[in-house]
Amino acid sequence: MTRAHPIVRLYLAHERAILGLAALLAVLIVWEGLGRGWWADLLSPLLGRSAEALRLKPIFVSSPSAVAAAAWSLFVTTGRIWPHLAASGLELALGLGLALLVGVPLGLVCGRYRLISHAVAPFVSALNATPQVALLPLVVLWIGTGLAARVFIIFLLAVLPLFINAHAAVRTTDPRLLTVARSFAASEAFLFRSIIVPSATPFLLAGLRLAIGRGMIGIVVGELTGAAIGVGFMINRAGATFETDVVFVGVFTIVAAGLLLTDLVRRIEAAVGVWRAPIEGA
Amino acid sequence: MRSERLEKLLVGGGALLAFLSFWQAAVSLGLVDPLFVSSPARIWLAGRSLLDDPDFWRDVRVSANEFVTGYLAAIALAIPLGLIVGWYRRAQYLLGPFIDSLNAVPRVTFLPIIVVWFGIGLWSKFAVVFLGAIIPIIIATQAGVRASEARFLRVARSFGASQRKIFSSIVLPGTVPFIFTGLKYAAGRALLGVVVGELYASAAGLGHMIAEAGNTFQTDTLFFGVLLFTATGLVTTGLLDLVEQRFERWRPQPAATQ
Repeated sequence: MTRAHPIVRLYLAHERAILGLAALLAVLIVWEGLGRGWWADLLSPLLGRSAEALRLKPIFVSSPSAVAAAAWSLFVTTGRIWPHLAASGLELALGLGLALLVGVPLGLVCGRYRLISHAVAPFVSALNATPQVALLPLVVLWIGTGLAARVFIIFLLAVLPLFINAHAAVRTTDPRLLTVARSFAASEAFLFRSIIVPSATPFLLAGLRLAIGRGMIGIVVGELTGAAIGVGFMINRAGATFETDVVFVGVFTIVAAGLLLTDLVRRIEAAVGVWRAPIEGA
Repeated sequence: MRSERLEKLLVGGGALLAFLSFWQAAVSLGLVDPLFVSSPARIWLAGRSLLDDPDFWRDVRVSANEFVTGYLAAIALAIPLGLIVGWYRRAQYLLGPFIDSLNAVPRVTFLPIIVVWFGIGLWSKFAVVFLGAIIPIIIATQAGVRASEARFLRVARSFGASQRKIFSSIVLPGTVPFIFTGLKYAAGRALLGVVVGELYASAAGLGHMIAEAGNTFQTDTLFFGVLLFTATGLVTTGLLDLVEQRFERWRPQPAATQ
């Protein structure tokens, strides 16, 4: 490499961060400008009246500053978002918990016993091909529009990735370990507890990450009908009343929650994976 | 191997048949109220009568239009974008943060904003379907470019191949399986977009039909609509598998070399 100017070298060393931040900043500036009519003012000498098309109504696009102000008010000064967050968090926790309780054992059992797996297969592939939210009207018909319905929708969305990953995990269990254990007359319960579940854990956590993403859909979709509280409800109501800044705060909150939760699972994955290394090396 | 496939067919088909008969029997014997659970026979009849209903065909056309247009637009933009982002490091630096954060959340979350922007007509559904489908295809295509076989690249470079030649003869063919994985995943997301978009706010389409059937306790129609979505999902994935096989025919079969 030839000797470059220090500034160029600094840029090259941090190119990724610099370009990423620049792109982000550019988007924010363009967005703010659309909301405030900067671009219409700037380009009107060139384009004349047609530049007015770039002056968008704030109720349409909002702007980064308005979103930040709304976020500050929702989170700090009024704290109006916290009850919504708590309600949606409860739905998500219950729905994911139920999905874990059903999907993981069922997946493990199906992975271990071929006949059960064959029997369940048509139902799983049908449910997998269906956009599960299409079942929302049916769920409402069955259990109303209360908390139970929202938990059930989250469950329906989240259970499949957990089931499928648990199923696949059993299939990839090292057969040598199973053979050894069985030659020493280990019971099925022991096989599950000591070999299958530990070796399935990374798969299960990967499934959990997918399930969290699906659960976020459940929050938004489940709160479309009949909910009176929750982040999804807050977004819907704000959309209906053209409080676009509140809509954005809600969407970004869900984005942030999704990222935070999946990151948490990823950390657990890394921690759980630690014991694995010596086996791989041996 | 053959016998296992037969076993799978028998056991799976048997379980399905048992489930359907149990469902039908429970309703026929009056154990459960068909108002809530419908029954296979009732769903069949509802489907038959819907096929003669012009309103139903209008709903089908609307939903199909939303699905196909949004999905194709997403493919048309996502594959080139994925190739660019995978091939040019700086393009990845610029666009990566946006793609990754959009990938981290389900795009249906943006529906309320999309409705504010595009209204409750066709355009908001196009947008939701498009957004749902575009991200998985970009991610998969980009991963495909990244996963280009290093040995091939090294050989090509040692023989002085141009960047363009490397791209068109090594990288592009190598991405095909990845792109199809993305396309299959995206089809599911697109279908989800159609359903959620129509459940959320619309005046036509199969999602709207399902929602209305639910509100008026027409459980048979509701089930039929859900099954149509299931069938669409299965058919789309099946078609993509077929197209993929066609594209992959040139590849030497691993079974033959072993």
